[in-house]
Amino acid sequence: MLTIQVNGVSHTVDAPEDKPLLWVLRENLKLTGSKYGCGQALCGACTVHIDGQPTRACVMPVGAVGNKAVRTVEDIRNEHIGSLVQDAWRELNVPQCGYCQSGQIMAATALLKSNSAPSDQDIDRAMSGNICRCGTYPRIRKAIHKIASEQL
Amino acid sequence: MTHSGFSRRDFIRVSVMAGGGLLVACGGGSSSSRPATPPSNNSGGPPTTPAEEFTLGEFMRIGTDNRITVLVGATEIGQGALTAIPMIVAEELDADWSLVSAEQSPVAANFNNPYFQNLLQFTVASSAIRGYFDAQRSVGAAIRQMLINAAAKQWGVNASSLRTEASYVIDDIGGRSASYGELSSAAANESVPSNPPLKDPASYRIIGTSPQRTDASAKTDGSFKYGMDVDIPGMLTALIARPPRFNGQALSVDDNAALAVPGVRSVQTIPGGVAVVADDFWAAQQGRKALQVSWNELLAGRTDSASQRNDYNLRLNLPGLPIRSDGSTLLAQLQASETLSADYYFPFMAHAAMEPLNVVVDYDGSSAEIWTGTQSATLDKIFAGVVLGLLPDQINFHMMPAGGGFGRRGNPLADFVRDACFVAKALQQPVKVIWTREDDMKGGYYRPAASVRVSASLNSGDEITAWTHRVVTQDVTASLYVENALDALHDMELPPLAELTDFETGMPYKIDNVLMDAHLTILPTMPSLWMRSVNKFSDVFAQETFIDELALRVRQNPYAFRRQLLSEKPRHRAVLDAVSQAANWGQSASGVSQGIAVMGHWNSFIAQVVEVSVSANRELTVHRVVSAVDCGTAINPNLVIAQVESAVIFALSSVLFGEILLEDGVVQQSNFDDYPVLRMHQTPIIETVIVNSGNSVGGVGEIGVPCVGPALANAIFAATGERIRELPLSRLNFIIA
Repeated sequence: MLTIQVNGVSHTVDAPEDKPLLWVLRENLKLTGSKYGCGQALCGACTVHIDGQPTRACVMPVGAVGNKAVRTVEDIRNEHIGSLVQDAWRELNVPQCGYCQSGQIMAATALLKSNSAPSDQDIDRAMSGNICRCGTYPRIRKAIHKIASEQL
Repeated sequence: MTHSGFSRRDFIRVSVMAGGGLLVACGGGSSSSRPATPPSNNSGGPPTTPAEEFTLGEFMRIGTDNRITVLVGATEIGQGALTAIPMIVAEELDADWSLVSAEQSPVAANFNNPYFQNLLQFTVASSAIRGYFDAQRSVGAAIRQMLINAAAKQWGVNASSLRTEASYVIDDIGGRSASYGELSSAAANESVPSNPPLKDPASYRIIGTSPQRTDASAKTDGSFKYGMDVDIPGMLTALIARPPRFNGQALSVDDNAALAVPGVRSVQTIPGGVAVVADDFWAAQQGRKALQVSWNELLAGRTDSASQRNDYNLRLNLPGLPIRSDGSTLLAQLQASETLSADYYFPFMAHAAMEPLNVVVDYDGSSAEIWTGTQSATLDKIFAGVVLGLLPDQINFHMMPAGGGFGRRGNPLADFVRDACFVAKALQQPVKVIWTREDDMKGGYYRPAASVRVSASLNSGDEITAWTHRVVTQDVTASLYVENALDALHDMELPPLAELTDFETGMPYKIDNVLMDAHLTILPTMPSLWMRSVNKFSDVFAQETFIDELALRVRQNPYAFRRQLLSEKPRHRAVLDAVSQAANWGQSASGVSQGIAVMGHWNSFIAQVVEVSVSANRELTVHRVVSAVDCGTAINPNLVIAQVESAVIFALSSVLFGEILLEDGVVQQSNFDDYPVLRMHQTPIIETVIVNSGNSVGGVGEIGVPCVGPALANAIFAATGERIRELPLSRLNFIIA
């Protein structure tokens, strides 16, 4: 039995320490917003925040999370910047198939929390770990700039 | 009749066509699949119009709260089917769009795609909007009329004195109105009008606007449910160990170590491999690593990319089966002053949708419930019935929206559904079969490799008098036309190949003598499938780079040269002119080179300009891609633009990096490290203009793909003088920034 803090709630889960956090979230806690895409930290679909840092949950053993605070896309609206990101995503019709967007939103939120006026290069650095096969990158870039210029 | 009770028309038949091509036959029509809830009033004889096939209850719901839910028969794979199709219905219904939502329909004959003769639900070939448009309009118009008729009856007035607006029926004379919600129950009892009047496009209020996607909210807060997210009580998770070479069979299995992994429940050998069934994904993955299988590879595929390429290139020298033949190319070649030709090669490519394949099956021995993100639900359901020994009525198939498809989820052979059903059949317990990314990458059904040879003959006046185009590849498109083909075969007569396939590129230039022929090879041990834009990806690449070579050969501007040859193709010309204007053709910044390409297919037309720079050390930067697209009528222009943006990025991934290599039958790529796709920092500026021709609706899911490659290759030529005759560019020592 392990205890982890997810979205402000303490959960005791029955899982081996080496089970990736992603599958604990999806299977044990039924938080399916974080997605499995590659299992190798190559695509970013599983991105969550651990103590505010964007982290690939698919390669993070749950036993290594400890007491750190995990936040997933299901709860990101409770952060001011997270809610701005979700609103801008909707307004610009960013998602297509949508499967990668939880990870994109978590990465973009982390970027805007640390940098309220990111340049294109900053966006490239922060977002290039998140693959989108539908090609929503131009709208993601536009949405990040829009939030930075209008709301931060 | 077969033992399982399928009629001839229902049963899947796979056969090989003379000359190549795999034919998959399936029955369709109303007998193969039925709605989950049988409609209440469908017993009054065969339907005579699309509208009459539907009832208010099964096709959409109008709640007493005035909310409208439209059931959508095309799969939402990112293209916006859950938005654009309801917009079409809502337009003719005169609905308040803010109250409309959408759900995926059951797998039922009434939701079959009219594009495929109403035979099946099949979301491929850019056919969702093209296929459903007319029928959806008729349905919306019919239900609107029924609502009007119900109000007229209630108020004792003539229906023709009433009008509708934003989900209300309005009686201007009587000064009263009633909402659709209030009228819905009464309307359901009205008879269905057979030919309801349709709106003049000039009075559209919803079509042609760009409301937000109906799925935008759920796709930003993590609540949108994909097949991968389905969770039912008692569900186990299975991973399948597959043979290293296609068509290998498990010979012996040592499952002791796998079963010793905590959480592993059982190991099941199925035709496609060996399934490790566990309480969760992690245990299944650990179990599969511990599994020892030796494979019988006597009949396994031994495709080797290098030798396969040599073989294809040799076959370019032999005539294939004609797909298009205008005039006499042979005569024109004999009379020509010069004939030029070029050979091209394109490798296998993986679709690599973000959501790896997965299927949930709950089979109890006498019925089944199945959930999967699929582009081919009708055929999947038929195959599931064959594997499980169930009738269509005994299967409740949930067509889930998918995390990308690109053709991989539209497999007429239903490979992933069959695998999952075999596991479920052995287990008789709910199970989710998940493909890891590596399984998905190595699992075959790729865009087939292709060799292409194009030639052009010039007369002494530098006019093109003949054009030939020969392709060697695997064919899957023929299976689209199965029923026709089989009916024809029944009469001992094969229809022309051009009617069986969608291979013809629609080479648009004014050239009198044209021959396109094809070698459509059969490689059962090298599973291939369609991938976004199918053969147009490779064939238009050859066509549009070669026409560029000819332009320079006769010392003309590539844009002006194409324009002159398109004098009889106004829609090609219009997009060509539009893109040249939008991209400032001929006036790029210093150090930046432009390339252009144009095509028409899927009832749509596109021209694209790509701007690149190539540094001395071959560092290739794609700066900008400008597109002008004419899809006839844009239902939701913002979604059309999104589809073009999507297609440009998808095409760049393929052109720059896309390559699956096989060595002695073993796929060499496994994940996004060795099969890279375009990322944010490599994404150019993408600009798209819509050329509104007002024509009938065309498809937009694929039209943005094929011209990107040739326009990019033409730009590289402009920058370096180097002709690109094979892909991907990363193999040609270009450094992709």
